[in-house]
Formats: sequence, structure tokens, C-alpha cells
Amino acid sequence: MFKSTTYNFSRTVPGQAALFLRNYYIYFVLIAVIAFLSLANLDRFELFERGNFLYEKNIINILRVSAPILVLAGAFTLLMVSGYIDLSVGSTMGLSAVIYAMLAINGVSFWAAFSITAVCGALLGAFNGLLVVRFKITPVIATLITLSLFKGIALLLVQDGVSAIKSMGDLRMPQWFNDYGREGVLMGLPMAFWVAVGVTVVLIVLQNRSLLGKYAAATGGNPTAAKLSGINTSMIVFVLYAIVGMSAALAGIARASFMSLGDPLSGDGMELTAILVVLIGGTAFSGGEGKVLRSFIGALIIMTLTLGMLTLVPAYYQTLVIGAVLLGAAASNHFISRKDHAS
Amino acid sequence: MSVSIKADTALIDNRRMSDQMYITLLVASVAIGLFLIASMLVPNFFQLQNMLNLVTNNWAVISLGVGVSFLLVSGNFDLSVGGIVALSGVLSVWFAQSIGGANALSSGLGLPYWLALLAALAGALAIGGLNALFVVKFRIPSIIVTLGTMMVARGIAQVITQGSQRNTNLPDDFGLLGSLKVFGTSIQLPVVFMAALLLVAIFIERKMLFGRLTYWIGANPTAARLSGIDNARHITYLYLFSSAIAGVVGILLSSEFQSGYSNRGMLMEFDALVIALLGGIAIAGGFGSVIGMFFGAIILAVVTSAATGLTLSPDWQFILKAVAVFLAIMAQTWALTRRNQ
Repeated sequence: MFKSTTYNFSRTVPGQAALFLRNYYIYFVLIAVIAFLSLANLDRFELFERGNFLYEKNIINILRVSAPILVLAGAFTLLMVSGYIDLSVGSTMGLSAVIYAMLAINGVSFWAAFSITAVCGALLGAFNGLLVVRFKITPVIATLITLSLFKGIALLLVQDGVSAIKSMGDLRMPQWFNDYGREGVLMGLPMAFWVAVGVTVVLIVLQNRSLLGKYAAATGGNPTAAKLSGINTSMIVFVLYAIVGMSAALAGIARASFMSLGDPLSGDGMELTAILVVLIGGTAFSGGEGKVLRSFIGALIIMTLTLGMLTLVPAYYQTLVIGAVLLGAAASNHFISRKDHAS
Repeated sequence: MSVSIKADTALIDNRRMSDQMYITLLVASVAIGLFLIASMLVPNFFQLQNMLNLVTNNWAVISLGVGVSFLLVSGNFDLSVGGIVALSGVLSVWFAQSIGGANALSSGLGLPYWLALLAALAGALAIGGLNALFVVKFRIPSIIVTLGTMMVARGIAQVITQGSQRNTNLPDDFGLLGSLKVFGTSIQLPVVFMAALLLVAIFIERKMLFGRLTYWIGANPTAARLSGIDNARHITYLYLFSSAIAGVVGILLSSEFQSGYSNRGMLMEFDALVIALLGGIAIAGGFGSVIGMFFGAIILAVVTSAATGLTLSPDWQFILKAVAVFLAIMAQTWALTRRNQ
């Protein structure tokens, strides 16, 4: 490794094919997954018929269900690019869902409830940032602590005897609560999906055109060098945690709207999905490398695969498939990045 | 010259306690202190039976903690143990169930009991081998790998049990291991397993080359490799040991409940990690001890059972756990920096 960088500069430049593969393989994977799923049931249904994968309503449904992970993937990528991780996103989601549902059921208007929840999410994320940056706790431990903490708070907010905030007795969920995640506003897709697209676009711009993106990559690539060249890495990390917290809150809102209840456990396991999606997107776990857009595509792949699989095999295959995909993605990440060291 | 020699002898002065011993003592005194506080607040907490229960109720997590601790000391995570607990339990049931039950979930492979257990253990070891392959050979971060294998292991268990559980058509002696009492006392075999495991682990960690090498590798993998240690083989062994422990725990649990349940051991990997961290094992590797991990488990047990004793809503457990871990981590960092100033 040292030899190739020291003596042979031409070898560090990857070949055309390797570069193309590295930049675009994710799209091929998505196309392959879609092609596989739409052809798998062809013996029973027509290509665009009800029951087949490419049936319009089915695609809309998959995108609707994917809104939470789509809105979260971008911010999570930026955080991982800077070399940090947040395991508390699932609990942040659950807590935000509860807060949002409580506000909605008590008659707060949509925009107020939405912004209050988003701010709460940012604060929860900032709390993570505080533990990591100020108290210098290792990210994994710090966010394991808050995973437990936020989940506990969310469970306490829901009164005893009920499992989630929902319409009960006189208290009714307003209509907009459910519409946000389900009712199509543009091309048959709901607000929640378009918010996810909007957030992703903003983050892509942030990553490619702003100092935040540049500094995040610098922090992840070589923290010491970044610090020495005058970057306030603590500030960058703190801001990134806040952004992840806010995205997790938006994910919680999307999930709460879709299920039309504020379930404190609705985000459980989201940290795994987020890690999976970001890895599939080719982000290096050690930091320094990764693209928001690729994670977005990675999220589409995972959701397509998990939901599409349901038409082929029973639901209890899901964990196995996701685990295998995670290992496969990690291994292929390894081989692809090794390839451009070698070629 | 003579000055530097003096400095050297000061460094290896045995009268000064090592940082590790210091932290272990700190964790132990926190555990005992918490127990005393809980005794004052909760009625009937200060009883011999309750002290025993704090340990025996947590035998599974403490046992898993041994493997996880060794791996953490070597600088690697093992989050797959919870999945392996489910897998080996389900496998042992599936292999032991007799052929030709009424439906798919009640007919297994009909192996003899001992062979079923061995095969289940082999299944657990396979996951450990997979961990080692990905971590050592492909050099993928262990946290990712073991998250993946955790899902694969649990996924296989879910496929075998079709997302539910298998508990019919089992041989008569299947429940023997998990409910065996030792020498007429109320102590069960799993607890003896945990105690033996702890003693062996402490001996390996303190007195054997294998244990000391683990610290070397964790403290500085490059230096260890350059001084001729076979890191790859060592870490492979550690993953195999950890998965074997998890396999035995899974088998014992399935025997105790006489069922193979695919969701058993859910989140146990996080509990094992948390008690190891509470016990003062550094996440960066090279520092910590199994005794510390044991007292970490006691801290967690006291906190959760005191919360139940105070009749707080079970939801408080999560918050108390978070606060306990936060305080323990902060106390350790504070104590270490203060001591080494």
C-alpha cells in the first residue's frame, strides 16, 4: 500500500472501467433488482398488470413506505462521511413521532406541529453532538446511551395502558395527519416523499457546493490534518449530528403519518437500515468518502428488495435477506475500493 | 544513563496499582455502592437471595459478555451473539425434533440428543467463522460484519421456525440441561456454566499468554504484528470462542424453555456490549478486564431491578440504563485523567 503511493503515481489513478464501475454500479444494482422483481412473477401476471411489481400503484406504494429512510439516508451519509455514527436515529424517530402525534391530536396546526417536531429532532441530534464533541464519549457509546434515553422518554410520554398516541374518545387525529404520508399530491406521491426528495436535493447541494460538505469529508478523511488546517471539526460534527437529528424527526413524522399513530417504537431498527443503506451506497465506514445521492439510491434498492421479496417468499425470510445483503455490500465495497488501489 | 535507568524502574514499580486494577476496583465499588443505595430505597432489597438473583438472573448476558469482552479488548466488536443465541437454540430444537410431526413446525431431523447439540454448536461456530473471515480476511470493520451476521443468524433461525417457534415433538430429555439442579441446591446448571466460564476467562486473561496477547493486539495491532504475533489467527480464535459461548447459551436457554424461539436473545448483544463498557473496557481496545465486565453487569442488574422494586413504570428502565452508562463512562474517564495527571 505504501509502496504504490510512494513510487508509482500512475498506479493510483484508476482505470476508466474501474472508475465507471465505482461511480455507477449502484444504478445497475437498482435496475437489476427492479428487473428481477418484475420478471419473477411474469408467469402469473402481465408486466404492468395489478399483482406484478411494475404495477403503478405498487410503485407508488413502495415509494410511500420508503419516505422515512429516504429522508434520513442523506444526512446519515454526511455524518458517516465525517467518520461518525448515530445509532440513536431509531429512537429519535420514535420520540419525534410521539411528539408530532401529541401536537396534532391536541389541535396544533400542521405547519406548527411539523416545525416544532423538526426543531425537537435537531435538538435531540445536538444532544448527541454534545456528548460526542463536548464530553468526548466515543460515538458508538454516546449514541447507544441516547438510543436508550430517547426511547425511554418516548415510552413515558405515551400514557400507561396504550401502546401509541392515536385517535381515542374525544381526541381525533386531524385529517391532514394521515394525508401527509398517504395522499398523493404530485404524480400520485404524497408530501412525505417530496419532502424526502427536497431534503436530499438540499443535502446534495450542501455536500458538493458548500464548505460543510468539504469539511465533513476532510474531517472523515484525516481528522488531525483537518484540525491542523484550521477546520473547526467539533463544530462540523456538532452541526452534522443536529442535521441527522432533524432528518430523523422528519422520518418519524413520515412514519407516524403513514401509520396515523404516534408509536414510540416505530423507529426501532432504523439505525440498522440506515447503516445498510449508506453502505450499499458505497460510503466508506471509516469516513472520508461517500455521496448523498448514492445513499438515496441505496435506500431505494433496499426498500424495493424488502418489499418486492414479499411477493416471492414469506415475510420471515426478510431478516436473512437483509443480513446477507449487508454482508454482500460490505464485501463488494471492500473489493471495489481495493480494485482501484491495485489497478 | 543512570537517570534513565532510574526512570525505568519507577515505571515498572509494582507497588503502584495498574490503571486497569484501579478502574476495576472503581467499577466494583460503584456496583456495591449502588446496591447499598438501592437497599435503603427498596424494601427487602438487602437479602442474600436477592444478591444471588442479581447474578443468576443475568447468567446469559454475563456469559456472552465474556466473549464480547475479550473481543473488545482486542479492538473488535461482536454484535452477533444475540443472533447466535437464537440460531443455536432453534437449531438444537430442530435437529432433536423427531421426524414426521403433524406439520412442518413439529417435525425435525430426529438426530440423537447429543448429536443435535453438537450440530447446533457447529452452526454457532460457523457464524463465528464467518465473522472471522470478514473481519480478518476482508478487513471490513467488525461492527458492520457482526451486525450483518447477527441478522443472518437470526434470519436463519426465523426461516427454520417460520418466524415463530418450535416446541413440540421433542425428546423427553430435552429439558434436562437447562433445568438441572446442582448437588441438591437451587443453583442451576447454566449458572454453574457462567461461573466456570468467568473463572476460566479470568485465568486466561491474567495468567496465560493467550490473554496477554489479546491486550497487545488491542493496544497496538501494528506493533503486535511487527513483533511476530499472528493477529489474524488470534482474532479468529476469539470470534470462534465468542460464538461457541453464544451457542452454548442458546442451547441452554432452549433447553430451559423447551422451545426454539427465533426472537430469543433479541438485543442481548447490546446488553453484553453495555455491561462490558460499564465494566471499564475501552472501546478502542487494549484495556479492561472480565472482572470489570462482571461488576458492570451487576450495576445494570441493580439499576433495573431497583427500578422494578420502586414500582416505576418499566419505561423508566431505558432512561435509568442510559443515565447509568453515561455516569459510568464519565466517571471512568474522569478518574483516569485525574490519576494520570
